[in-house]
Amino acid sequence: MSNSHSDTIPLHPSSQSDIDEIENLINASVQSGPATVLPARPPSPPRASIPVSSSPFIQSKIPPPPPQSSSSSNHKVPSVPAAPPPPPVGNSSSIVATGFGPPPNTLTEPVWDTVKRDLSRIVSNLKLVVFPNPYREDPGKALRDWDLWGPFFFIVFLGLTLSWSASVKKSEVFAVAFALLAAGAIILTLNVLLLGGHIIFFQSLSLLGYCLFPLDIGALICLLKDNVIIKMIVVSVTLAWSSWAAYPFMSSAVNPRRKALALYPVFLMYVSVGFLIIAIN
Amino acid sequence: MQIFPPNNGSGRGYQTLEAPAESFEQQPPNNWKGVFNISSYTQYFNVDTDVVINRLISSFHPTAGDFFNKIEANPDLYGLIWITTTLVFMLSCFENFATYLMQKHTDGTTTWSFDVGYVNVAASGIYGYAIAVPMAFYFLLRYLGSNASLIRFWCMWGYSLSIFMPAAVSLPFKIAYSLMPPRFCNCRSHLENLKVVFGNLDFRIRIWISKFLLLIPVEFLRWIIILITGTASSCFVALNLRSYIEGGNDLTIIVIAAFLLQMALSIFIKVWFFP
Repeated sequence: MSNSHSDTIPLHPSSQSDIDEIENLINASVQSGPATVLPARPPSPPRASIPVSSSPFIQSKIPPPPPQSSSSSNHKVPSVPAAPPPPPVGNSSSIVATGFGPPPNTLTEPVWDTVKRDLSRIVSNLKLVVFPNPYREDPGKALRDWDLWGPFFFIVFLGLTLSWSASVKKSEVFAVAFALLAAGAIILTLNVLLLGGHIIFFQSLSLLGYCLFPLDIGALICLLKDNVIIKMIVVSVTLAWSSWAAYPFMSSAVNPRRKALALYPVFLMYVSVGFLIIAIN
Repeated sequence: MQIFPPNNGSGRGYQTLEAPAESFEQQPPNNWKGVFNISSYTQYFNVDTDVVINRLISSFHPTAGDFFNKIEANPDLYGLIWITTTLVFMLSCFENFATYLMQKHTDGTTTWSFDVGYVNVAASGIYGYAIAVPMAFYFLLRYLGSNASLIRFWCMWGYSLSIFMPAAVSLPFKIAYSLMPPRFCNCRSHLENLKVVFGNLDFRIRIWISKFLLLIPVEFLRWIIILITGTASSCFVALNLRSYIEGGNDLTIIVIAAFLLQMALSIFIKVWFFP
């Protein structure tokens, strides 16, 4: 394995698609299991190490097929991926540019650069989820470069805002709010998965966390303005905004006949968060 | 149309998951690893919106007694989980509302205060009841030699709690009614309202009815509501359970026990959350 590493490193970039093809063959023939594990892995480009084990392996196991498959893949490759890629490159070049992992060497860069990159990623994800944009139709596509920092900040911020505005039992308010939001996101994702929907677990957590952003704003306004009428108006507006942000993702993830079953819990959680914002003072 | 960037080819975008997942669901693993696999639980959530609504509606018909026939082929846990969650949310928020109104009624200067602790009581009470009681009946019936299905029991008890949701909505508003004495205790306008309703009745009877309506204590009304709700829910549980374990006469005591437990839950809700 280790000496074959040096063999495959100098592969030309154009042969990348061949490697993908071989890797798919391996996955399909030798082990069909990992296909279920893959989605949980964040998008990351390190490809060079995968063919290392695959190419000698497939040659040693079944000598005749590789030339056939590689030659056929040479013919196939232009036809299969060539048609899809142009649209994303044309439409969403900004997403692609920020979307596929860190630049090659992030170990030696200053900490500030890392933080700045994460912050800009949070901002771009926030724009994709919460604000109107053409990718809202399929947020799973838009939110490929998901992160959990944004949701974490939003949940903690909402909990802190609520506990600041509470006059008694501040820590208990924070505990209940944090538990409700964190466990709520997990349970809502599990609910969609159990209903037979097809989503990626952490991507869904990330999206549900980003959808809390309007409620964060609402909580902040309610912290500053202590008037029940204003609170109710602000919370209803932000509640509608949050539900609007979560709607396309949740409804496209499940069968149309189960849309209401997937959306009702989301709505229930946002309503309860909105109620907490109004009720706690 | 599936669009994948070149270096993301092995399919992590939820579109590509569809094809493998469909075949994947059909064969939930039977070994112990299936406990940790989410796809082995999808069979209990295999319901559509109209099915759930249909079951909810039938849970409001307590005397039908055919709920187990309806869920026979496809019992779901969706109802149990989300009905109890809704109920927990409603109880914990309306309880605060009711407490506030009660305090405001007795002491006009009180300010709104939200007690988060109610959430804990509501959650542990409702979730605990909905999970533990069906389990206890399941083990009891298995011990007594009757065949029982835990999932069906959970499903039935979960849907039996759905009738408490309108009750939880109506209970605090009964207090709100009592908060408006000036308007409603004005006997003259009240009598005029009654004249519209009972136009042809004798005047004395009209007086008597109006007095009766005014003298009904609100607390009494709320007890009526919760008792009606509790009875309906208990009948739903008891009748369905009876039709399920039909055969042995010695199992009547179990049906009665289920009835009494459901009544106890409704009285607990009244006493604890809407004092």
